[in-house]
Amino acid sequence: MNAIISLCHFCEVHGPKILFCTQTLRPQEPGDSEGDENGAVSAAPRERVASLSERLKSVSLAQGCASTTGESTSTTNIASASHASVPKVIPKVLCEGCKSVKTGYVSHDEEAHLSYISTQQPHIPQIFTRMRQACIRSLSCEVCPGQEGPIFYGDDQNGNVLSHTFHIPDIQARGRQRLYSIVVFMMDRIYLLNSWPFLVPQLQTTIEILRKKAQKVMDEEVDKMPQAVNRTSSLEPRNFLKKKGVNNKPARSLEELTGDKDIFKMLHVAFVWTLKACGSRLTETLLEGPPTEDSIIDMENQEETEEGFIKINTKKILEEARPSSTPAEDLQSPTSQSDSYHNTFRKVPLTDTETEAEGAAASEPIPEEEKPPIRILRHVMKMLGNEKFRILTQHVVIGDQIIVCCPDKDLVRSFFNALKVLLPRGCCSIIYHSDFYEESWKCNFLGQKPDTVLPDHLVSAERFLLVEIVPLSEQTFNSLDSDLSDMDEDFKSYEFRIINPVPLSERMPTVLAKMHLALRNENLTEKVAEQFFVCLKEEWMNKVKVLFKFTKAGGGRSEDETLKLLQVVGAREEDKPLLKFWMTGLSVQYRTHILASSKQR
Amino acid sequence: MSYGDDENGGFAVAGSFPKGFGYGPDDTETEQPADSPEDKPRILLMGLRRSGKSSIQKVVFHKVSPNETLFLESTNKIVKDDISNSSFVQFQVWDIPGQIDFFDPTFDSDMIFGGCGALIFVIDAQDDYIEALARLQMAVTRAYKINPNIKFEVFIHKVDGLSDDNKIETQRDIHQRSTDDLAEAGMETVHLSFHLTSIYDHSIFEAFSKVVQKLIPQLPTLENLLNILISNSGIEKAFLFDVMSKIYIATDSSPVDMQCYELCCDMIDVVMDMSSIYGARDDGAFDGNSSSIIKLNTNNVLYMREVNRHLALVCILREDSFDRQGLIDYNFMCFKKAIQQVFDVRKQVASTNNSDGRAAMATSHNLLHHNGSVEGAAS
Repeated sequence: MNAIISLCHFCEVHGPKILFCTQTLRPQEPGDSEGDENGAVSAAPRERVASLSERLKSVSLAQGCASTTGESTSTTNIASASHASVPKVIPKVLCEGCKSVKTGYVSHDEEAHLSYISTQQPHIPQIFTRMRQACIRSLSCEVCPGQEGPIFYGDDQNGNVLSHTFHIPDIQARGRQRLYSIVVFMMDRIYLLNSWPFLVPQLQTTIEILRKKAQKVMDEEVDKMPQAVNRTSSLEPRNFLKKKGVNNKPARSLEELTGDKDIFKMLHVAFVWTLKACGSRLTETLLEGPPTEDSIIDMENQEETEEGFIKINTKKILEEARPSSTPAEDLQSPTSQSDSYHNTFRKVPLTDTETEAEGAAASEPIPEEEKPPIRILRHVMKMLGNEKFRILTQHVVIGDQIIVCCPDKDLVRSFFNALKVLLPRGCCSIIYHSDFYEESWKCNFLGQKPDTVLPDHLVSAERFLLVEIVPLSEQTFNSLDSDLSDMDEDFKSYEFRIINPVPLSERMPTVLAKMHLALRNENLTEKVAEQFFVCLKEEWMNKVKVLFKFTKAGGGRSEDETLKLLQVVGAREEDKPLLKFWMTGLSVQYRTHILASSKQR
Repeated sequence: MSYGDDENGGFAVAGSFPKGFGYGPDDTETEQPADSPEDKPRILLMGLRRSGKSSIQKVVFHKVSPNETLFLESTNKIVKDDISNSSFVQFQVWDIPGQIDFFDPTFDSDMIFGGCGALIFVIDAQDDYIEALARLQMAVTRAYKINPNIKFEVFIHKVDGLSDDNKIETQRDIHQRSTDDLAEAGMETVHLSFHLTSIYDHSIFEAFSKVVQKLIPQLPTLENLLNILISNSGIEKAFLFDVMSKIYIATDSSPVDMQCYELCCDMIDVVMDMSSIYGARDDGAFDGNSSSIIKLNTNNVLYMREVNRHLALVCILREDSFDRQGLIDYNFMCFKKAIQQVFDVRKQVASTNNSDGRAAMATSHNLLHHNGSVEGAAS
């Protein structure tokens, strides 16, 4: 557990002081903890002990303290390994009551590769500062109802503290008792509060032991000198004054109070056990949200290739002409060999999704000098201008086939890679380059040579958008350079002609409008915009799912019902084609799940 | 002694946590969060450890017997006492542990000393006070920087163990050294008041009275009223007491004789004890109509009249002056009315002390007129 447990004391002379402090220490170098069981100190831990002790602030050498052995931990006195290396600096003259151990104790947990060290004060200055604040607050600021008991306080900046204050009887002290507290310090508030039910009984057990011992000592002292008890009878101010000189001797140490020389050893063992047990009581797991639709599709594709029929060097094939007759891409029949073939094509852009926004094109094996200027969607927007960009993207999101005619294959590739972020992963099938026309059910992004003839039926019936990218002049090619500074120059070297036979609806789909806003907002960095896109897509994919379930599971639905549903999910008329298209991009997993569950009905 | 040389991050200071927590069993817990500093001036008790701060607080405000203070634990946090018995006497007493240096950047010293009316520095006269003087000088200079309006009071405490000569010598020595120290620090303008105190006699109450009086803006008005009262009623000495703490919040302008004060304190104790034993109510039958007369064999009479539940007027007068008790009673009624008017003015314009004073002066003239006519009729 990443916590520090310490014993604090309100000293009659010096105020709040940290007496004893146990913390976990993770060794920097792994694998130095082999061997060494049963408390026999082998070479490696000894070194560690030595390095520890050098960092310790407490100075003088302990007189060879017998090592206690815990279950899986071995306690050794640090002093055994720390000679002369420690500089002789005594920070402050402390009274007996403020002193605990001169150097400290260390325990090694061989299984977990952890060390627990106990010293008077934490030796790392930052920790020391915080601990001291925690200590002062525990004893002198925070008020616990009933003066004894556990309280919690703290903040994320200074750390969170569970503090248990208690009194230990001392016949010589003012008020016949002295104030102590055990402080559990942790940066993680949730963890600490969740450990409360465990920690508080633990601390109370320890406190009870201390108190019982001290009570016993006090009872003995009372027996020895009964006049100390009924001081009230002899309580004349004069008597008190005479006594004062005697009474003024420094406060007694905890060892003396409890009559146990090994009290700090006991505390060490108790604290170490508490730390270890509390740590294994709760383990933290990072809970991630459910995977996005895109990542499910990624996973499905991943599996398909790993089942993998043919491992193809995809990049090569992409550069070359594809086989003319690629079987249909159908997400619902992923087992056919040809389909996996196809999927490998899709996999190329998928594998570099991480770097998509930053430089999808850059990660492609394209020679440096030919690096195309398009890397993110904003570039496309700049190149096309707002109006053309609007038309293009609107066609993209409703699933119209985008045919790009361009002699420069790399440019087409980067163009598609940039546009890809507009669509859910399941919806985009890209053929970067083909000599022939490919049917729109095979791909919605198609790269072609400029002179490819479109079949008649397409021109007459299909929804598609033809983009011709024509380089303006030869010399601009030479100045091609992907530097952002002269990006604008590069954009001007191409002309984009958009031929769209199909008229678009007046209004953009809602999601696209939001995407446009994000793209135009210069305050959003590329990363942020990318994340925003992911969220938008996920949001709309959820609506798509609802719609899918609605249409598939329920059977016949009237127009009215559909309209109502659309209203509920917040979709408008102009979103309909988009929803319809995105439905094709749902993961196989989801489809089969929905279909199966609807069949059961 | 101090700690926190290397502490940088500030954290919530002692006074900043929720009021609901309370300050231990003996706290009055009547703090209202909306209290503005000028409504409740703070009196800070500072000093070295074991100098007797907590004892003073306990004896004066909690009626703890002085002998029992020997068994007090060392104070580990600021202990706040809220004294809001009457409209005049409203302040907080903060007992500050001597072990902790609250000028340390760790603590919000502005918050502690900002709303502070008076700083009482307690010095143990039976101990070696050199260290205490160094602390005094430090506390005064720093607190003055934060809040120049603080009144500084030095209690030379535990003087019951010293002989009379020794007391005078100690006071002189402490006075000399501390003013020298302050002059050295360039703080000649700061005025320190010195009081010899002990919890075993009434000196601590007297000293505390003087401290509290400095925090009462209406003090001149009250003194004036008392002067008028005693001159017209043949009273030798009159005190206006806060009954609970036996602090007198005002007296007439004749010098205070310690024995008179002790007599009056004892009388209050007697009356309070009697009323709590034989009173009809559980909380003691002490209210605005109580009065008590004690005749001493020295031909003196102690006469006590309640002004309200928390304030009482205690007078000492010659037996023969007491023959005309009706006149005294009538004058007292006038006095009571006048005090009531001062309260009302305070309630109306709590913020402006100026108008307070003017209205009170008007009532005192009123009183004088009444007295004159009555006196004339009687003689």
